[in-house]
Amino acid sequence: MSRFLSISILLLFVLHVSSESAGEEEFTEELLFRPLPDRKVLSHFHFESRAPPTNSYGHHHRLFPKAIYQLVHKYRIKQMELSFTQGRWNYDSWGGFDPIASSNAKPPGVELWAVFGVPPDQVDASWKNLTHTLSGLFCASINFLESSTAYSAPDWSFRSLSGNLRYGSLPREAVCTENLTPWLKLLPCRDKSGLSSLMNRPSIYSGFYHSQRLHLTSDEFDPVALHGIMLEQTLTIVLQPDSLETHPSFSGSRKLQPSWSMSSLFGKTVDGKCALAKSSNVYVQLEGSLVYNMKNTWNSIDSYEGDSNFGFTVSPDRMMKEINSIDKEGYSILYGFSINNDHSSKPFDLGFWWKLPVTWSCVKAPLRVSRFLMGSGNEKGAIALSLQSTEWSQSLLKADNNGEKCNLRVDVFQLVPWYIKVYYHTTKIYVDGASQSLGDIIEKMSVSPSEDKVSPGVMEMILRLPCDMKSASLTLEFDKGFLHIDEYPPDANQGFDIPSAIISYPDFQTRLQYKLDTTSIKSPMVSKMQERRTILSYTEVLLVPLTTPDFSMPYNVITITCTVFALYFGSLLNALRRRVGEEERLRKSKDKSTGKLRLLLSKLSAKLRGKPWEPPSSTPPSSSSKFISTKVVIKIILIAAIAFGWQYYDG
Amino acid sequence: MAEISETMGTESSPPEETTNEHSKSSNFDDKTMRKTKPGLKRLILTLTVLFSFLLGLPWLLKSIEIYRSPLPFRDIDSLATAIDSKPLVFPCRFHLVFVNFDHSSSIKPKVDNLGFLVSSYMSEYAVSNSYCGTCDGNYTVSVSLDTGDNCVEYEDADKRILWKCGALSEFNFDQSDEAFDEYLQDTVGGSRVYTVVVVNTDQGDRLRAVVGKYRHAWVVGRVGEMNLVAEMAAEMFVKVFVSGAKDEGSIQGEFMPVGADGKIVLSFNLLNADPRDWVYDWDFKEVDEKLLAPTLEALAPIANISVESQVLYHTPKSSYSYWDDEQESHIFSTKDLPFFVNSNEWHLDTSIAAGGRSKILQFVVYVPSANECPLRLQLPTGEISVTNGFISPTWGGVVVFNPPNCLENANSMHPLRRKLSSQELNQIFEVFMGQLRQLFGLKSTGFYKGSSGTSVLLASERGFTEWELDALARQHACYNLQQCGTTLGSLSRLVQSLPRMIIKDEIGKQVKFSLEAAKLAQHNASQGICDASAVSSRHARSLAEDAFFHPSVMSISYYSFEHMFAVYSPFFLPLSLHVILAVVREIKRYKQESRKYAAWEALRKQHSD
Repeated sequence: MSRFLSISILLLFVLHVSSESAGEEEFTEELLFRPLPDRKVLSHFHFESRAPPTNSYGHHHRLFPKAIYQLVHKYRIKQMELSFTQGRWNYDSWGGFDPIASSNAKPPGVELWAVFGVPPDQVDASWKNLTHTLSGLFCASINFLESSTAYSAPDWSFRSLSGNLRYGSLPREAVCTENLTPWLKLLPCRDKSGLSSLMNRPSIYSGFYHSQRLHLTSDEFDPVALHGIMLEQTLTIVLQPDSLETHPSFSGSRKLQPSWSMSSLFGKTVDGKCALAKSSNVYVQLEGSLVYNMKNTWNSIDSYEGDSNFGFTVSPDRMMKEINSIDKEGYSILYGFSINNDHSSKPFDLGFWWKLPVTWSCVKAPLRVSRFLMGSGNEKGAIALSLQSTEWSQSLLKADNNGEKCNLRVDVFQLVPWYIKVYYHTTKIYVDGASQSLGDIIEKMSVSPSEDKVSPGVMEMILRLPCDMKSASLTLEFDKGFLHIDEYPPDANQGFDIPSAIISYPDFQTRLQYKLDTTSIKSPMVSKMQERRTILSYTEVLLVPLTTPDFSMPYNVITITCTVFALYFGSLLNALRRRVGEEERLRKSKDKSTGKLRLLLSKLSAKLRGKPWEPPSSTPPSSSSKFISTKVVIKIILIAAIAFGWQYYDG
Repeated sequence: MAEISETMGTESSPPEETTNEHSKSSNFDDKTMRKTKPGLKRLILTLTVLFSFLLGLPWLLKSIEIYRSPLPFRDIDSLATAIDSKPLVFPCRFHLVFVNFDHSSSIKPKVDNLGFLVSSYMSEYAVSNSYCGTCDGNYTVSVSLDTGDNCVEYEDADKRILWKCGALSEFNFDQSDEAFDEYLQDTVGGSRVYTVVVVNTDQGDRLRAVVGKYRHAWVVGRVGEMNLVAEMAAEMFVKVFVSGAKDEGSIQGEFMPVGADGKIVLSFNLLNADPRDWVYDWDFKEVDEKLLAPTLEALAPIANISVESQVLYHTPKSSYSYWDDEQESHIFSTKDLPFFVNSNEWHLDTSIAAGGRSKILQFVVYVPSANECPLRLQLPTGEISVTNGFISPTWGGVVVFNPPNCLENANSMHPLRRKLSSQELNQIFEVFMGQLRQLFGLKSTGFYKGSSGTSVLLASERGFTEWELDALARQHACYNLQQCGTTLGSLSRLVQSLPRMIIKDEIGKQVKFSLEAAKLAQHNASQGICDASAVSSRHARSLAEDAFFHPSVMSISYYSFEHMFAVYSPFFLPLSLHVILAVVREIKRYKQESRKYAAWEALRKQHSD
């Protein structure tokens, strides 16, 4: 009986959950702060809007942005992610293993990928239209991704979604407020109230890293639509707090981490939650290693008050501890603060201060990846991808110490523009400085070489690296191509960007699982952290200088070759119609008569000598001078006629 | 080289000959005479070079020619002139029915020429409104007289529009106008004839004129003077049925809210000025299905209409209102209306679903915040607006919705969340329907005041009555054709003025189809099928616009003739100088030498004689 009861209760619960998920539009706003080891603070805004499926809810919404709904339906988007980033995520000091780093650390510029629910032959057309619509929607030049030389269809290395996925990125796109304003327009409260009112433009754009992301998932076009469309908007900023008040007693060697508050970071406070938001929460996350390092001075972790290393200006509403931590030593702690909507209450300004100095380091990605260029000159070069082990992979070695040889799987996805002609057969792999045969290391590799002016070169690779290696590197040689004169972008001398390569570690999945107490409300951001996701990191953007021509060159070349041809042709024609004998005879007869020059000379000498001048010979020069004058007149008339004709035609 | 040496030989021979024959002819002068014929080789050579250049020129021009699809310039011009010279005129048929008139009464002789009388009155009225899309001069009036037991058809009575005799004998005139309207529709409806029924009831002293929802109107009352009735009928025909009962200063064709591609997007926005005070929500799905669908169906021939909605928050208006104690409300005066719409904060937005040339009409329900509630609009006369809304031509309309009891709710701690009830929604959408009618240039009031009396206009549940739709369709057809003509005319002028512009085949096709659609529209118009004409004129216009704004037109028109000149002149200019000078010199020399030879010939002839 009791079993039946429990089953029925479970059934009821499931029904309740499913009806809830399909029922209403929802909007939640959240903000996460995390102190970073290098005296900076990560702030991560997370907004989520949900629209129930169209077949049950219809196409009129009260919270979900109309533009996004129309976008999803017009291009049949299943999943899409667009990010605008400025600055580079510092994987070493800001971490590379946690969910925020692997989903919100993005390559500089614009990155866009989308999965379409259309037949495979229409995917490219949908992508092209989508880029144009997005560029209009977000005031960015995303439409440059329209050209088939700018995007590609990765097969398996990126997101392991095959077929209808398209990926493209614009490394040089500058990101500024004109991109943020349309992004804010998608929020029901924009930046008028709620957490988004913190976004003071000067302070968020003066940070070290700024990444604004829009992630869409929809199951509208599946046969059974359960969730509808989910729009996730995040803004990740790394800011340096002004360390004004340093504690006098710790001014020695160990410096106190800077204290911060919302008003000191952003210059603004939160007046109240967005009236439309279902929940509005602020979290402060302390990393596992930080908690571990503080343990010595911190007796009772369960209450932050008392003799802990830090303090809040507002007491937290709840505390969540990480369970099943990957880091055996410490567990991460999440402090939650709810913002309630009271007109009367004072503005919410969360502050955080340190009482004791503490140092810690973030959990890094399994490998430290960097990519650089080798070679010099404007003709050839090589791309090198260097993978260095971190302490994390060292610990892995200790852990996995059974009989088999330990392997580390690394997926590489790299997109290279066609004017960088990569010779994939020159791939070389070095492990700890020693050259290795490709077959030993590369498990799978698919390469589509670039086609001039048609498609970029795409390289997808699965590497199996031994766990005990210190460093590995992969080099590829390339030739620099020549662009057509009108294919050069403005300021071509700056160089050309090669988009970031994506390195992922499918063997490792990151999730931060927090023990949720019953009182805590459902938080999309926390549940997002609990999702398993592959660790992903982006390499640097490469700047390749190409030979740039003198852009006035074509005209110069045309002019000089034409002149040479004209000279050659004219002299040939003259040679054909010359009469050598006759000319000689004429010259002989002319020798008798004086030339014009001699006439002038004699005149001059006569004047100098002061004698009256007399013509030296009997033949009057009038005829020849007359001949010359008619010739000149004819020439002048000819030129005038050409000029007149030109003017007439032009007019 | 061989040739040169050979010619050298021939050229060098004459002086030797002269020395040899010097003894023979002492008066031979080697400056003016020569004994051999001048050679043609060099002349032919230079001429060949010149001619090969001239022959090569067309080939060169052909190779640098750009592709231009042939456009039917003549057809475009003829269409443009045809539209300019005589605007689209639709044939209209009118029918005047007299019921309950005594056949033998004094009216009878006048009835004989009543048709003529009405026509003459109509031409008087028609002078003042001779704009596009009317039945200017192209109409027929037929008159029927129903005495109850027998009927008489007068004038050029069309046999197809026979009045069913005694049709109204069973009808009880005490019923409502709507019932009579339906009854008339059953008896005379179905055809495209506009009917005015004059019923003589011998009771009451005022004539009561009503225009129905379909294509007929009726005048009930004691009919005295026949001229008065004729004038009334004529005015009804011209002012109401033909021109859609518009006011003089109403919106004309060029401000019609239809996009160039024949599409309208009706974007309905519910703006909560401050959601911290209260949050209003609506069930737009229901509105869309119940209130809007019939109207959109009715307007289908005029435009392809789609509907979308959104709810926006934090959208204050951009100008201030003042508190009026007398009205107990915040007053916003009409002179500030241009500053009501706050384009900075109202992100009404264009639609992604709509194409680039679609027209978007914004309809805004503005829910004021607590500190400006209740908000009322004040007319210039000082009265308070009944609808509490206003329109902005070609932009859309705004209705202010004041939350009930807003003064009491203002101090609540939590924002009030409410859904607009269906009754409130009905009120709002009634105003929106009136605004939509105004945006289309129609009257939003239920009566028409003419010179010969006021007539009641029955409102259709679809928002637009059939005769109004006819009038709109006629105007749209005419306006669309005008636009199509001017667009195609500009395109042809542009294409002819830029000889170095590439014209793709697609543009040629679009122009061709546009012309075909325009012809179809004209044909339909001449048949009097106004909605079909409106549809095909819409196609014609959108195709013409597509051709004019084709992306390839803009990008190529910058490739100029100067560019070509700069590329080719460094080669051809010096070369042509060489070739032409060589030819000129050779010809001159040849003439000179042949003159010399002729002189020698003459001398030799003289000697031989």
